[in-house]
Amino acid sequence: MTDWQWFFIDILQAFAAGVLVGGTYGLMCVGLGIIFGVMRVVNFAHGDFMMLGMYAAYYLVTGFGVLAFLGPYAAPIAGALLAGPIVFAIGWLMHRFLIANVTGARVISAEAEGHYAQIILTLGIALVLANGGLILFGSLPVSVQTPLSRESWEIGEVLLNKARTVGFVLAVALALLLYMFLTRTSLGKALRAAADNPIAAAYVGVDVDRAHRLAFGLGVGITAVAGGLIASSQSFQPYIGFDFVIVMYAGVVLGGMGSILGAFWGGLTIGLVQQMSTLVLPYQLQNTAIFVVFLLIIFFRPQGMFGRVWERT
Amino acid sequence: MMQGARSTLKKHYAAIAAFAVVYLLIALLVTNSYYQLIMTLVLVWATMGLSWNILSGYSGLISFGHAAFFGLGGYTMTIAFVKWGVTPWLGIPLGMIVGVLAAIIIGIPTFRLRGHYFALSMLAYPLALLYVFEWLGYQEETLPMMREAPARYMQFGDQRVYTALALVMLIAAMVISLHVERSRFGRSLLAIKQNQPAAEAAGVNVLKCKMLAIMLSAAVAAAAGGLYAVVLLVVTPPTMFGVLTSAQALIFTLFGGVGVYWGPVIGAGILVPLAETLHAELGHIVPGIQGVVYGAAIIAIVLLAPDGIYWRIHDYLAARRAPESAHAPARAVASTTAAAEPQDRRPAGAPLLELDDVVRTFGGLRAVDGVSLKIKEGEIHGIIGPNGAGKTTLFNVINGFLPADAGSIRFAGSELLGLKPHEVCARGIGRTFQVVRAFPRMSVLENVTIGAYLGASSDAEAMALAYAALERVGLAGARANAIAGALTTNELRRMELARALAPRPRLILLDETLAGLGHEELEGILDVIRQVNREGVTVAIIEHTMHAMVKLADHFSVLDHGKLIASGPPGEVIKNPAVIEAYLGKKWMDRAQHPVS
Amino acid sequence: MLSIRSLDVAYGGLRALSDVSLEVARGQFVAVVGANGAGKTTLFKTISGTVSPVSGAITYNGRDLLAVPAAERAQLGIAHVPEGRQVFASMTVMENLEMGAYTKAGRGRWAQSLPMILELFPVLAERREQLAGTLSGGEQQMLAIGRGLASAPELLMLDEPSMGLAPAVVDLIFERIHQVHREQGLTILLVEQRAAEALESCDRGYVLETGRVVLEGPHDKLMADPRVRQAYLGM
Repeated sequence: MTDWQWFFIDILQAFAAGVLVGGTYGLMCVGLGIIFGVMRVVNFAHGDFMMLGMYAAYYLVTGFGVLAFLGPYAAPIAGALLAGPIVFAIGWLMHRFLIANVTGARVISAEAEGHYAQIILTLGIALVLANGGLILFGSLPVSVQTPLSRESWEIGEVLLNKARTVGFVLAVALALLLYMFLTRTSLGKALRAAADNPIAAAYVGVDVDRAHRLAFGLGVGITAVAGGLIASSQSFQPYIGFDFVIVMYAGVVLGGMGSILGAFWGGLTIGLVQQMSTLVLPYQLQNTAIFVVFLLIIFFRPQGMFGRVWERT
Repeated sequence: MMQGARSTLKKHYAAIAAFAVVYLLIALLVTNSYYQLIMTLVLVWATMGLSWNILSGYSGLISFGHAAFFGLGGYTMTIAFVKWGVTPWLGIPLGMIVGVLAAIIIGIPTFRLRGHYFALSMLAYPLALLYVFEWLGYQEETLPMMREAPARYMQFGDQRVYTALALVMLIAAMVISLHVERSRFGRSLLAIKQNQPAAEAAGVNVLKCKMLAIMLSAAVAAAAGGLYAVVLLVVTPPTMFGVLTSAQALIFTLFGGVGVYWGPVIGAGILVPLAETLHAELGHIVPGIQGVVYGAAIIAIVLLAPDGIYWRIHDYLAARRAPESAHAPARAVASTTAAAEPQDRRPAGAPLLELDDVVRTFGGLRAVDGVSLKIKEGEIHGIIGPNGAGKTTLFNVINGFLPADAGSIRFAGSELLGLKPHEVCARGIGRTFQVVRAFPRMSVLENVTIGAYLGASSDAEAMALAYAALERVGLAGARANAIAGALTTNELRRMELARALAPRPRLILLDETLAGLGHEELEGILDVIRQVNREGVTVAIIEHTMHAMVKLADHFSVLDHGKLIASGPPGEVIKNPAVIEAYLGKKWMDRAQHPVS
Repeated sequence: MLSIRSLDVAYGGLRALSDVSLEVARGQFVAVVGANGAGKTTLFKTISGTVSPVSGAITYNGRDLLAVPAAERAQLGIAHVPEGRQVFASMTVMENLEMGAYTKAGRGRWAQSLPMILELFPVLAERREQLAGTLSGGEQQMLAIGRGLASAPELLMLDEPSMGLAPAVVDLIFERIHQVHREQGLTILLVEQRAAEALESCDRGYVLETGRVVLEGPHDKLMADPRVRQAYLGM
């Protein structure tokens, strides 16, 4: 094998890794996309909800071993999926008691004040969650134990890590399920309507407050599942949320505000950028590459790939 | 007026001096070295909070990235010290310069963004720097101990010296903030925060103000970062560039009070000792207690007292002071003649504002569709038309808020298209808005003074112009000091008018100034407008209240669906069939011409 | 059916409505006209619940409407076609109509409502999968009306359907509104700036000027009444 061939394989490997990782990033971004892209709520704490999902999966599978009876292959998957409803409930409560005070109809008149209050409130929540996590879970990095993370499928010379592949498949499946929920069911459409135009939605009889709460819970729940899936492939600690915040926003903005599909593609692209940047950049700078991409998008094409071209006045 | 300003300044200095003396005394008395450190840290974080305040507190652009400047200041000093033996006495100022440069590089592109995009971008910068510095190999830098001549390298055995140094730095930052607050620059920032379009229309060069703010802010943050590094002796990327660092800058300010120089001091003074003490006592059981405290504090503040403790107390005390005496009605304008007859007018002069085939489209819609009209000097020119006819869009194009897609607009012979709003204002065109755009937390006088800065070479002159404008609209006297947020609609409209008049423009654009007023209030404002016009100001006014317009205007231009459909004296225009059709509908005209008996 | 008595509304610091009273009987077509700023949209917002009055009463089918929370008023059979259309721009035409049928009554009668709406506005059938935000102004107005009709309402409230539309499209829309009223006996409350179109089709009309009712009466009396013109043009 020549050097060029090895290099080519390196590229393929990075690409494959990028796609696999990107799938879970995509799901993560879809969750944020519902909240930020559609409802225009700036949720600084989104990464921390993901962190909660990771720890939920961890405790269900490894920590307390609640799901151990499912065996080492199925348990992590079940753990990741169950993380969703758990974090959904937490998010629902948080929206009801805290976040609703700074979003929605109450703030439509307060112009920019509304945005700042959201950002700052969710920043406070992020700090409490991350540090609360530190207190509850300790600072030692953990991960969900699964034999899949050490095994790989081989396609030619390219290795596909099994845990990541399973994560990818599940992420895509969930994203599709969510897409169908939002486009085919009455409730899903009501959520979209409430986010699209709360005034008109109220006129047609949608309970906009409740819809926003549900959407928020759904958004954090989905991201939590993505976190649960990642939890078997890498180790994490309570501060991991902050690392991911920019990654997630980069994905949503890249995909285009207001587009759930776009958010998935945005996340996928970010995953690719991250993994492929390791071909040219040192490992520590892979996130810097994402930041640079993020800044470039914001400056040159803020509406992203699939963004809504029209804007409500 | 001037006397009052100087004596208030003295009061502020006295308060700062008193605070410094008290703090120093307390510091001298504290013997426990951990508490001494806290005393120093409070000051460092208060300074950091002040730096954040200068950019974000005054202008409203929330920055999550101040750790970038803090970290750059700290690392510049550290690297200069460790690599080249440069003493921190020089290293800190060097760091400040680096900070300012970074501010320029960051500011120019990022200020084009608004709202949450700005905040998110600012978040990215320090995090990127964090990764870069880690990659560069600066995981942990320790300042070397200089055993000979420690003082020359800012190393002191007694922790209290650091407290004194930090106090000096804080006082400097407080004085800077104080002067910013009281200056035209500071007022412009506040105006930008409270209502950016109004500030632009009143002549504020928004970009220049923001750049100045971020540069000043970065310098202060870098100084704080430098001193922080000196005190801690160990520098790591997460401490200097981390999210918590940026967060702390804004948390202390938001908690203590936004937009006022005592705010960060109060915030840091309460939260730092609280968090540090809890950390010291309970840190081994509950690590991360600091973060929880800060997070909880900020949640509580956002929900309960969004502007911070200082303002909550301030508002409470202000409300308890003797409430405003029953609203003295805005004085009738001293006019030499009684309500002028419509016919009693100076003949209008040469064209002052000429619009030539102006076009403005939104998507596929031609909001302004080839409009040509002339506004003559000295006249009161009414622009009327049904809802959605394009009137406000036209004003926005004239003003510079929207670019035109085609055509030209000449004011006193020179082209206006392409100018920014504050440049249009500088040429001599004032503007009021359909929805009153006041600066709600400022007094009436301050609101109007913002408009006067353009025409004045000094703050004192601006205030004099503002006062004169207030007299013209009948708001001088006691009402001049009322807070804008508490005014009635009538008073707000007069204030808007005064702000537009303060720089003594040649032309004012009034957008629905009469809407929502009762009959008497209407007459009052009409008198004001007539008087202002008699004094030489050309008036272009958009209105729907037809009764009033018919009595007020010399000339009507009627717009419908973006086109000019009629132009002439009021009496003629309202009988024009095209106009009647525009307002009442085609079938009305048909019926009027073929009445059904 | 709908009875408004002595309504006083302050909105955005302005006195928007003063002592406004009006009646809409079942099966009637009532028009409220007036120049911009006369308070017409505020009237609708008060009926829909977005704005609360300072004083006054609104009864709907004998019920105190002000006691019903805004979110539930749609379920009572009141359809509000808002000013400026307010379609769900990111959803398709069909989805918009489906959202109109979100109420119980709407869902129950969906099988009959949909063909009726598509027959009334054939262009909606042509563009059923298109995103609402990409429709023209007139098409969006038809969609908004269709969405209102999809809820199988007892009372259809239309807020300035002509705003921003070209005259030919306005004619078409008013014709269809009139058609719906005729064919189904739907009760209609219409608020408009363009007096003639509105008064042409109505049974009863009210003229608002700066928040007050200055003129009211049956259709014949109002048409070509010079005072209507005066209310608009000041002379």
